[in-house]
Amino acid sequence: MAKNPLNRILSRFVEIKPGEEFIASLLFLYFFLIMFPYGIIKPVRDAKYLLELGSIKLPFAYLSTAIIMGFVIHFYSKLQVKVKRRVLIISSLIFFAVTCSVSRQFFVRGDLQWMPLAFWIWANIFIVVLVTQFWILVNDVFNPREVKRLIGFFGSGGLLGGILGGLLTASLARDMPDELLLIASGILILSIFVVNYIFTWQRKNKPITDKPNYLNKERAKEPAKAGFMDCFNTVRKNYYLKLLAVVVTLTFIVTTFIDYQSKTVIEMKVDRPDEMTYIFGFFHAGLYVVPFLISIFMTSNLIKSYGIRIILLLFPLMLLLCFGGIAFWPVLGFALAIKASDKSLSFSINQYIRELLYIPVSPELKYKAKIFIDMFLNRFAKGIGALILLIFIFLPPAKWEYRVQIVSIIAVVFIIAWVFANLKVSKEYTNTVKQKLEMKWDRGDKVVAEKMDVDYTKLVFDTIDSRERSSVLYAMHLFDLIKQDKLTPEVRKLISYKADERKVSSLGGLFESGETTLVPETDDMLSEEVLGKEVKEIMSLDVYQEVMKGYIDKVLVDETGDTETSKMEVAKAIGLMESDSPLAQKLEELLEDESPEVSKYAIESAARLKRREHVPGLIYKLPNPLTREDACTALEKYGERIVGTLSDYLGDSDEDVGLRKEVASVLARIPVQDSADFLTWELAEDNEDMDPELIDALDRIRSGKRAIQVQEEIIKTKIFKEIKKYYQVLIKFYDPKSKAKKVKISEQLSKNLAASMMNIFKLLGLIYSHEDIFRAYQNIRTATKDSVDYAVELLDNILPKEIRDVVFPLIEDLPPEERVKRCRIILKTFPKM
Amino acid sequence: MEINTREKTDIIIFDIEGEIRRSDITDITLHQLVKDQLDSGKRNILLNFQNVDFIDSFGVGEILASYISTHNLGGKLKLAKISKKLFLVFQVTMLTKVLEIFDEEEIALDSFIKDQ
Repeated sequence: MAKNPLNRILSRFVEIKPGEEFIASLLFLYFFLIMFPYGIIKPVRDAKYLLELGSIKLPFAYLSTAIIMGFVIHFYSKLQVKVKRRVLIISSLIFFAVTCSVSRQFFVRGDLQWMPLAFWIWANIFIVVLVTQFWILVNDVFNPREVKRLIGFFGSGGLLGGILGGLLTASLARDMPDELLLIASGILILSIFVVNYIFTWQRKNKPITDKPNYLNKERAKEPAKAGFMDCFNTVRKNYYLKLLAVVVTLTFIVTTFIDYQSKTVIEMKVDRPDEMTYIFGFFHAGLYVVPFLISIFMTSNLIKSYGIRIILLLFPLMLLLCFGGIAFWPVLGFALAIKASDKSLSFSINQYIRELLYIPVSPELKYKAKIFIDMFLNRFAKGIGALILLIFIFLPPAKWEYRVQIVSIIAVVFIIAWVFANLKVSKEYTNTVKQKLEMKWDRGDKVVAEKMDVDYTKLVFDTIDSRERSSVLYAMHLFDLIKQDKLTPEVRKLISYKADERKVSSLGGLFESGETTLVPETDDMLSEEVLGKEVKEIMSLDVYQEVMKGYIDKVLVDETGDTETSKMEVAKAIGLMESDSPLAQKLEELLEDESPEVSKYAIESAARLKRREHVPGLIYKLPNPLTREDACTALEKYGERIVGTLSDYLGDSDEDVGLRKEVASVLARIPVQDSADFLTWELAEDNEDMDPELIDALDRIRSGKRAIQVQEEIIKTKIFKEIKKYYQVLIKFYDPKSKAKKVKISEQLSKNLAASMMNIFKLLGLIYSHEDIFRAYQNIRTATKDSVDYAVELLDNILPKEIRDVVFPLIEDLPPEERVKRCRIILKTFPKM
Repeated sequence: MEINTREKTDIIIFDIEGEIRRSDITDITLHQLVKDQLDSGKRNILLNFQNVDFIDSFGVGEILASYISTHNLGGKLKLAKISKKLFLVFQVTMLTKVLEIFDEEEIALDSFIKDQ
């Protein structure tokens, strides 16, 4: 989509995609038009209260607000269920516009002693309801990733409104103090038109239900609950929401102390009514300037660069510094610095981070949680702060410096608790995002290994197969099943063998005497222990070894017709002997036999005997698809002791690449640290032919054994190389110069991209949380909007910045041209590798 | 053994005829055919066993290897129209715990769509 002029202008300040600029601007304007009146209302509120009642009675204002807010929330949450959001917001705006004008009338009368307190409470309800409504609407229009990207822009609308409202107040406070609230009322009316337009746009462009968010008649199985208790229970029952509630409570207790301190200081310095409003107007306007600049220029980048965890700590640590300072040096400068820090960060980064913390909360819970936490709890927390501040009411009157010091010491204690709460919530944030992402599939080899015994399955099939072929083979298979205690009644039924059926084997013929055979009827089986003992004893007899040696030599040199079956029997029989039997040496020749059937039995027997001299023979069976799987399994059974030998083949550039690739997959089946190390070192050699198999092998090891570590530097370098390759392919994919063969090229390139993406994520899973990386990858692959957003959000929280910067252009939802543009820019800054 | 390939609504169907035996393989294996389809971007594979008389342990290995390769890429591999005798062996050996097996091809094809 081409960029229009508005998009081009906004792009200078914020990362805005084509198509977003109009609605984002409307929301900017909406927030501006509710914060502008607040920039007027707040100075009036503060001035009226301090002049009439004094800062010593501020705790009563906080407490009253907290109590009244409980009723407001109860009423509001019931309304939210029954009324469409559009109607609710517009009605709220009308209500506050009208009551603002009415308040002006009451102030003009001048004889109502309760008016400053009532106006204080009204102003708090005003800001809480309207701001919460704004952020709920933002979440309706944009998905969480979009909110994260644009939050600084939206917020700066509010801050700009606050600045201009404050400045207007300051300029009119002396000359037209009584008209200020009328102006505020008028601006609120304007916001109604903007809100209406937003809903109209939304209906046309992003149609989602305008119904109360958790009342959907098609989906609801029971009547939607509403009310204060329901909102409270929603938070109470959810661990993450409880943590959010704790953070907000501690935040607003501390900001209550800040508010109290700064007002106390100003009250001491100013006593004329018009001067008070004037001072507060400039004070609030001035304090919004820095947050505005932070908001529009820095917030999104700070969040992107440092992540939620670090940014959450910024605000409380700065306040800790200031409060700690004022505890020891209670000077005006520190008091104002605290207020400045509070305003700078609480209305920019901290506010936005709190909004972003709602990202992993499902919509049904989010709206109830926001009502309870953002509307009720923050004022309730101020009430708690007020209760603490009430101590000053009962203490003898003290100099303001001592009041300020005491408050600072108490604030430090709460800030420390706040820091711990923030750390906890940032950790839980990642866990909560993870819960949104289903693990779609696990590695196939893992699934198979967990659900069945492949060796046993193959043995049953071999047993059934050998019935027709050779009674000796059949008998040896039966013996195997008995030895492994796997001759279950079901298997018996499957493989039941009649003694009078035609026998084919020549080995059977060697031992046959009349109608009897060496192999007993299945119904006449001896107990496992006895049979095993007897067979072992027979096989260890020197006589038996001699006879068998003669027979084996005869079979191996026999060049007449059908010796395949005999060789198969011999190969199987050798596997049943002891590992140190001299006959084991004969296996090498059988391994090299042309017949894949003979090889198969020889391979199996080699796996049982586990003699070193058979390893090279087994390795050379790997490239042949007919013997590959059997050879892999056999080598796997040797275990850790052949890892070194396997690595020699892996690293030998003179060996066939196909063989080396298969060796990598064998090492993957021996999940020990040495295997991982050898595979990693080979990966560092940058052989493009080998890379996919090496990466897959390492992935297999890591998915099965999380404790195994890989060398991070090598893998990181590989990640960058793989991503660079991806960028180059992507740019070629979209290169308009290659139009001529575009279709054919694009198919192949598309496959290359998909394969490369998988490799990138496999590599990431080697050095970061394997499960998290794959959870994210699988959900990005399934590509529903929600799943991609949460997946990207998870990666945003677990990958370091240097990796995020290069991975995100590949996975974020971007127009193709934008993606290619970013890739080109990043490619220029890629380190030389 | 003979394997024919066809496609229905983005699902690759391998019609296998004969016995899947080690000794019967001459040029390309079942796993290799499956991998070729996976390399071309296909993710849904159905093995039609209507004309399969028997498989040996090599055949089991091929099916499992094909399953693993498909599964690792987020795809699905299923079987259809397997004989009662063979199904019994699959059951006893727990292959049915891993492989989804359907009586009819249409039911198998529908199951791919439901999975999506």
